[in-house]
Formats: sequence, C-alpha cells, structure tokens
Amino acid sequence: MPQIIDAKGKPCPTPVLMAKKAMAEGAEAFTVLVDNPTAVENLKRLAANQGFSAAAREENGTFALDFVKGEGCAVCEAAIQSPLPAPGADWAVFIGRDIVGDGDRELGTNLMRMFFYTLTQSEDKPGAVLFMNAGVRLPTLDGQVAEHLKALAEAGVEILVCGTCLNFYGLAEQLQVGTVSNMYDIVTRMQKAAKVISL
Amino acid sequence: MDYGLITFSSTHGAICAQKALEPAVPVRVMPVLREISLGCGMALRFPPQALETVRDILAGSELRPGEYAFYAVTGSGPALRAEPL
Repeated sequence: MPQIIDAKGKPCPTPVLMAKKAMAEGAEAFTVLVDNPTAVENLKRLAANQGFSAAAREENGTFALDFVKGEGCAVCEAAIQSPLPAPGADWAVFIGRDIVGDGDRELGTNLMRMFFYTLTQSEDKPGAVLFMNAGVRLPTLDGQVAEHLKALAEAGVEILVCGTCLNFYGLAEQLQVGTVSNMYDIVTRMQKAAKVISL
Repeated sequence: MDYGLITFSSTHGAICAQKALEPAVPVRVMPVLREISLGCGMALRFPPQALETVRDILAGSELRPGEYAFYAVTGSGPALRAEPL
C-alpha cells in the first residue's frame, strides 16, 4: 500500500514540501491528497523535475496525485506523445522565377529541378512554397518540378501560386499542383514564416 | 535496385544525355548522391527497367563511354546503397 500524504487545506508550498520530504526519505511510490488545482500543477512540476510520474485523479473536490518514481516524467511524456509540428513548418520558399540564379537557362532549369528533388527528399521541409511572376511556370509547365511539388503537398507543404501571374502568362488552365492564391495570402504566409528563402 | 543513376564527368555531358534520353525515357534530374561523390554535380535518374534503353541511347550519343557511369540505387536515408553497374 503506497504511502498517503494528506496535504488538503495546506497553504502553498506546504504540499510540495511534504512530497519532497517523502522523496528525500526514499519513497518511490506515494499518493498526495490536495484540494486545489494550483497545488496539483505545482506537484506535477515537482514530479517532472524529480523523475517521477504523477497521475492526478479528482473526487469530490479532492485531488489525488499518484507519484511513481522512474516511470518518466509526466511533462516529458506529454511532450513525447504530442504530435510533432510539421518539420520546418516555420519557413517558406519564395520562387519568383523559373530558373535558379542568372546565367544559362538550361542549367538554371535543371538546378531548379534538383532543388525541388532535394527538398522533397529532405526531412526538414518548408511550410510553404510561394510562386510568383515567371515562377508560376514551374507548377504548370515543368513536369518534374510539378511531380516534386505534388509530393511536397502530400507531405503537408502549402503550395501557393499567384493567380494574377497565372493569368498574365495564360497558364491558369495548366496548373498541375497548388492553390491559386493572391498577394494577401502570399504576404501573410511570408509574415507567418520565421524565414523566407528566395530563389 | 529502386532506380538507376547516371553520373557524368561534366555538366555539359549531363545536359547532352538528358536531351538524348528525354524523348524515350522518363529521366529525372537530381544532384549526384553524397554516397557517390562529395562534389556537386548533376545526375540523371531513370526507372530500373529502362537500363538497356538508356545504355543504347547513350552509346549512340556524342558522349564517350568514359564520360558517364551507371549506378544501381537501393533504399534511402542511412540504408541507401549505390552500386556501380
């Protein structure tokens, strides 16, 4: 039968000190009873810091925290169990042209394909890829880039394509992947990103 | 093998091969795998079943045999293996 520490009605930080005392005495499993949510939170923090798990139960306004040593900390457990944020969700790529850099078009076209190939293979994917001006030729006319963009979209990457630009180049009907977007959405997406890489 | 890879001694060679292969084989441009070379370079990726077609087309192109090499790539990430063909 695990030790029961009755800390009901005790002012802060007494419940924490009582639990700490039990730990110092070598208790590896004990239950602390308290009567307010603040004490529950403080005790959970103590458990997390001291390598205990502390599951809380409530009954008629009394909270019982079952401290067990070595079963990992509740906070760590919660962090482990919580869904991962999409890798790299806080960065974006802005593509304002259809080749990488200045110089030879043929080389620049292939560098763009290699860029998207590599991005698709990478663990750390951007949250969004934004296409403007001649960049809109990629999700419309370049088969290989469009294929990579589809894979990125499936992995949760937002693909936003400037609608004004699609209209200007007469490419609206040829969009293979992505969402037709506007300056408001694209600027908002840039503002949301921790960094924007422009190609 | 999951896919075949062709590496080249020059980027011009890669573009030349790309032009020769594209009408017949669904090639993809990709960077040369780190497992093969630490240098930056352009490689072409093709489906395994296209190997003979690719060999024939390149043999008939202006590229000389020493200017390109074939690899069989299997797996990905740390388990990736690239064997010369």
